[in-house]
Amino acid sequence: MPQAAERKALQKGLQKLNENMVTLAELSELAIRKAIDSLTRLDGEVAREVFTIDQEVYGLQLEIEHTCVDLIALHAPVARDLRTITTSLKITTDLDRIGRYAKDLGELTLQFSPSTRGTEPELTRIREMADRTIQMVDTAIDAFVKHDAESVRDIMHVDDAVDRMHDENFNELVRRMTEGSLKIETGARYILVNRYLERIADHAVNIGMRVVYMVTGDWLPRERAADRAKRNPK
Amino acid sequence: MTILAAKIRVEKLSAWYGTKLAIEDINLELEEHAVSGIIGPSGCGKSTLIRCLNRMHETIPKARVEGKVHLDQDDIYELPAVSVRRRIGMVFQKPNPFPTMSIYDNVAAGLRLNGERDRDKLDAAVLASLKQAALWDEVKDSLDKSGASLSGGQQQRLCIARALAVKPEVVLMDEPCSALDPIATAKIEDLIFDLKKDYTVVIVTHNMQQAARVAETTAFMYLGHVIEVGATRELFERPKETLTESYITGRFG
Repeated sequence: MPQAAERKALQKGLQKLNENMVTLAELSELAIRKAIDSLTRLDGEVAREVFTIDQEVYGLQLEIEHTCVDLIALHAPVARDLRTITTSLKITTDLDRIGRYAKDLGELTLQFSPSTRGTEPELTRIREMADRTIQMVDTAIDAFVKHDAESVRDIMHVDDAVDRMHDENFNELVRRMTEGSLKIETGARYILVNRYLERIADHAVNIGMRVVYMVTGDWLPRERAADRAKRNPK
Repeated sequence: MTILAAKIRVEKLSAWYGTKLAIEDINLELEEHAVSGIIGPSGCGKSTLIRCLNRMHETIPKARVEGKVHLDQDDIYELPAVSVRRRIGMVFQKPNPFPTMSIYDNVAAGLRLNGERDRDKLDAAVLASLKQAALWDEVKDSLDKSGASLSGGQQQRLCIARALAVKPEVVLMDEPCSALDPIATAKIEDLIFDLKKDYTVVIVTHNMQQAARVAETTAFMYLGHVIEVGATRELFERPKETLTESYITGRFG
């Protein structure tokens, strides 16, 4: 709990934290965009760029953690300051995980060959799901940067749509593998792509929920999608 | 906020020094067997408030009080001041043992003032109070030494023992650790934690981390008013009032 004279140092630390968080968020988002680009165009060069970005994400995550620990140890922050720091600590993990999934997508790109890369139906579905997922990450990050709780209060509903896409894609991939119109190797890899995108969307939800806490102090309840659907039948 | 069992209930309390209004229209409930913290910048009226809770304020020339302070069902301003102070003890910022008295006599002073002469009873009370104040082990072989010979932290625990000896119901502490080093402070904080089993504790502190550590509920005062009262955790994690947030985050000091 800082006194006025100490406040300057805390303010400076919080500013540095915010700048690093914005950079980390931008890097994570860039990693997914590049990963999807590399996957759909089967571009190994771009996939390797994703690996480099993932390394940077990891390094920056560590730096942010150190900054947070220093701020807590030296300034005993409270109220909004404390919520900003603890939220940053939690969100860095989500952003790091997003970076890791982008790296995994990049690795899948390198495992595909032109003969196993899949056909237009898979690619179209993946592009659609990726667009939704990236939009969610973008919204969550923007909310963090702007301290805007309202824009992410409904992020779980967008995630429900991504979850539905995930289930449909999965069923479709299994159906096509079963009937023999899709190679098992290709189908299995697309099941992973499908899964990674769905997980990235979950991390965007985590970020959104944390932003609501950071700004308002309120914890949004975590609710199963099925229960949510029962509560809000369309 | 809802208090389960209020030991002290302050109603529309205002206090003046001459014509200067120090606290105005305070309403506050202090929970029994709990530690309540009062925080706020210098001059906000927190010491004045607790001095009104055991009728110390009126000992200052030209000082006066309006409003009510209930201790359980009793209005303390309708009881004899001495009996109020017996039920509501106080520990001050600077340890103030009686300098010419031994450790033993310091603790026994209040009881003797109340007319207790039975040596066995005095011995038992001194032992119990020093143990409760977590000082017994350090002074048991030197009870006849001067209280002033102890370290600052020990002196403060001696003052706490002295306050406890008359078996008060409430212990008021006005910045009890501000003159102590971190080790002595930690000992007093441990002690406060133990005391709430038997007493109701009210602590005024400049050290907000201390309030956060020891108090279940905390009141924030500013310019003679109680701005916000709440569960300490809530007050420090998500204060409701902008003024509270500004103060605890050091945006004004």
